[in-house]
Amino acid sequence: MREETRLIIETTNRILSDLCTPGVVDATESGQFATQLWQTLNENGLILAGLPEHLGGAGGEMGDSLTVIRCAARFAAPIPIAETFIAASLANFVGATSFSGGVVTVANGEFELSENNTLTGKANNVAFARWADRIYIPAKQQGASVLCVVDRDAVELTEQVSIAGEPRDTIEVNLVIDAADIYQAPSELQDYARRLGAMTRSVMMSGALESALELVVDYSLTRQQFGRSISKFQAIQHQLATMAGEVAASIRAADSLAQLQQPVELEVAFAKSRVGQACGPCAEVAHQVMGAIGYTLEHHLNHRTRRLWCWREEYGNERQWQELIGHEMCRTGADELWPRVASL
Amino acid sequence: MFQGLNFEPVVLPETADALRKEVRAFLDEETGWFPNSDFNTGASAEFSQRLAKRGWVGMTWPKKYGGSERSFLERYVVTEELLAAGAPVAAHWIADRQSGPLLLKFGTEEQRQRFLPPITRGESFFSIGMSEPDTGSDLASIRTSAVKVDGGWLVNGSKIWTSGAHLNHYMVALVRTEPASENRHAGMSQLLIGFDDPNVTVRGIKNLAGESDFNQVFFDDVLVPDDQVIGEPGNGWVQVISELGYERSGPERFLSSFLVIQELLREVGSNPTDEQAALIGKLVAELVTLRRMSISVAGMLEEGKAPNTEAALIKELGNTFERIVPEIVRPVLPQDASAHFLATLNDAILHAPSFTLRGGTREILRGVIARGLGLR
Ligand SMILES: Cc1cc2nc3c(=O)[nH]c(=O)nc-3n(C[C@H](O)[C@H](O)[C@H](O)COP(=O)(O)OP(=O)(O)OC[C@H]3O[C@@H](n4cnc5c(N)ncnc54)[C@H](O)[C@@H]3O)c2cc1C
Repeated sequence: MREETRLIIETTNRILSDLCTPGVVDATESGQFATQLWQTLNENGLILAGLPEHLGGAGGEMGDSLTVIRCAARFAAPIPIAETFIAASLANFVGATSFSGGVVTVANGEFELSENNTLTGKANNVAFARWADRIYIPAKQQGASVLCVVDRDAVELTEQVSIAGEPRDTIEVNLVIDAADIYQAPSELQDYARRLGAMTRSVMMSGALESALELVVDYSLTRQQFGRSISKFQAIQHQLATMAGEVAASIRAADSLAQLQQPVELEVAFAKSRVGQACGPCAEVAHQVMGAIGYTLEHHLNHRTRRLWCWREEYGNERQWQELIGHEMCRTGADELWPRVASL
Repeated sequence: MFQGLNFEPVVLPETADALRKEVRAFLDEETGWFPNSDFNTGASAEFSQRLAKRGWVGMTWPKKYGGSERSFLERYVVTEELLAAGAPVAAHWIADRQSGPLLLKFGTEEQRQRFLPPITRGESFFSIGMSEPDTGSDLASIRTSAVKVDGGWLVNGSKIWTSGAHLNHYMVALVRTEPASENRHAGMSQLLIGFDDPNVTVRGIKNLAGESDFNQVFFDDVLVPDDQVIGEPGNGWVQVISELGYERSGPERFLSSFLVIQELLREVGSNPTDEQAALIGKLVAELVTLRRMSISVAGMLEEGKAPNTEAALIKELGNTFERIVPEIVRPVLPQDASAHFLATLNDAILHAPSFTLRGGTREILRGVIARGLGLR
């Protein structure tokens, strides 16, 4: 592991263990943004760790951002750190010379920019939109792609929450945008955004899976039944071993993303489908081993499993990415399959 | 964070590409076998000899013993290419993977000079002698005994499921050199026993696919000279455990059904249904992930580490994968699947039950992983 990466993990984890307690995570569910957590991460250059300095980043590599995002997910951090990364990476992609900063999110939906720069459209599942200052919106203008930036206050917002209790709002837009807030973009902008999103969700799931495993293993060591800790039962050991296998594979799959300089489609597909596929079985084991206490909002296992159930669906679930891989491999053909796999 | 769950990405050395091309060119010239990626299936002494001529048997070993001093990661490239092509590798597999490294680690100088060069020439093949009729997963319960006599050890008992015993030259046998005591793991030793000894009898056993790959071996007052004891008498358990990282983490633990995936691609062609594509995508994503995990462990072995939990994780995930491939492929097959495909599929179905048994059963591996998690 690079020294820089180690340092990033250390700092991020320290801040998170102080400021992202289960209490803070619960408080966001009742409507309170974790301002102090956000600000502290921001002051330490962690929110945009992997973005260039002219966009307000720390000048690191894309992997640095993914590392921070993964750490945050281990603590179930209820902040739009992934969304800010996606938005800033889109700004970088379109060659923007500045990034708005503040709390930012991305809206992926059907948006059209008219000739006179009126942006119209709607998006569901906009993460943390209600707490954002600015929203980055990939749109189409006469078939070409453009990236638009709008103020949160200028959009019509309906509050919604995900299965994890996190804001996933619906926004509707019908307003004229300042030319300075419109960037001409390569035609693959929407697709690029989807790949960035799937990248973030993959590393987030791998982080949440790992911390869920830690929670459950700890619990199994302390919970006593029939005069011994339940970890001594082979049935429990085997379930946890199976979960550990899924978690290890997920970590490895997500680690591949942290090494990329760009969201390479096939790599994103491998990670999102492999990690997404692990969520169901792992959540099942975690809840089974934890018994009734795990089936409550009082125990913070729910912060992990509910997020896993949310993130696996976002930016394409495993089935959709698997189809993409499969079609690509079929184009590759039987005789080139192995050479292709061995080159990856 | 847990130890053993993190598989740091490892990049194959620059020499890997050229080496891979050489192996593929070599394989292009080889014919005459029905391809099967299961390393237990298909033994050809001639094939192993031709492979050895290229320096690809014992390739990581010191040159003075006939090796090529290539890295563990280069060996990885060679082995995965052979398995993916379904080449008949069984003859030299155990000697190359396990017995040679064991001798390098625990053998005497004299033993290395005597046993290793013939292995690297593809002239000497080895079997593992651990299981017995009454000893499977509980390896410490073995009963085959070796009693000290003048100049050596007198062996009596029987080993079973010994792959390749009918074709190979030596068995590395785990035997009791002291009666079982409170410390179950004490008093075992590893002996090199020649299959050409008249007091050794080999009886073939047909596997589910009808092949005679494994055997029962009987020892009837077999005299094993002192210079065929590996390592210290009594140290057998420690030595056996030290082989596990090599034994459990390689590409043979997830590639056994690879050809089913490859041939499925041939069946569905360039225009699969979405359902077929999704299944292929799922299998390839798993394959790519497993391969990367396995390469990470090869990197750890290269660094001299003993990644036993990681190896168990790969074997558990990999065996589960290779075992399920033929099962989940069936429902998406085209109606008019070719005879060639069905032969490949049936071959995999018949071999699959062994994947989660050999080299440590699924249940035993889960126990090893649970220990790594601190549960036991
Ligand atoms: C193709 C093939 C090749 C082989 N080649 C060789 C070889 O070359 N040399 C060699 O020595 N051996 C070889 N083996 C034997 C192999 O190592 C054994 O099959 C394996 O160790 C399991 O032993 P067993 O078959 O006696 O099953 P058993 O140990 O009797 O197990 C039966 C079942 O009980 C389960 N079980 C056992 N103990 C426990 C436990 N503590 N907790 C939970 N479940 C448990 C097992 O997981 C399994 O499901 C080979 C096997 C196969 C299939």
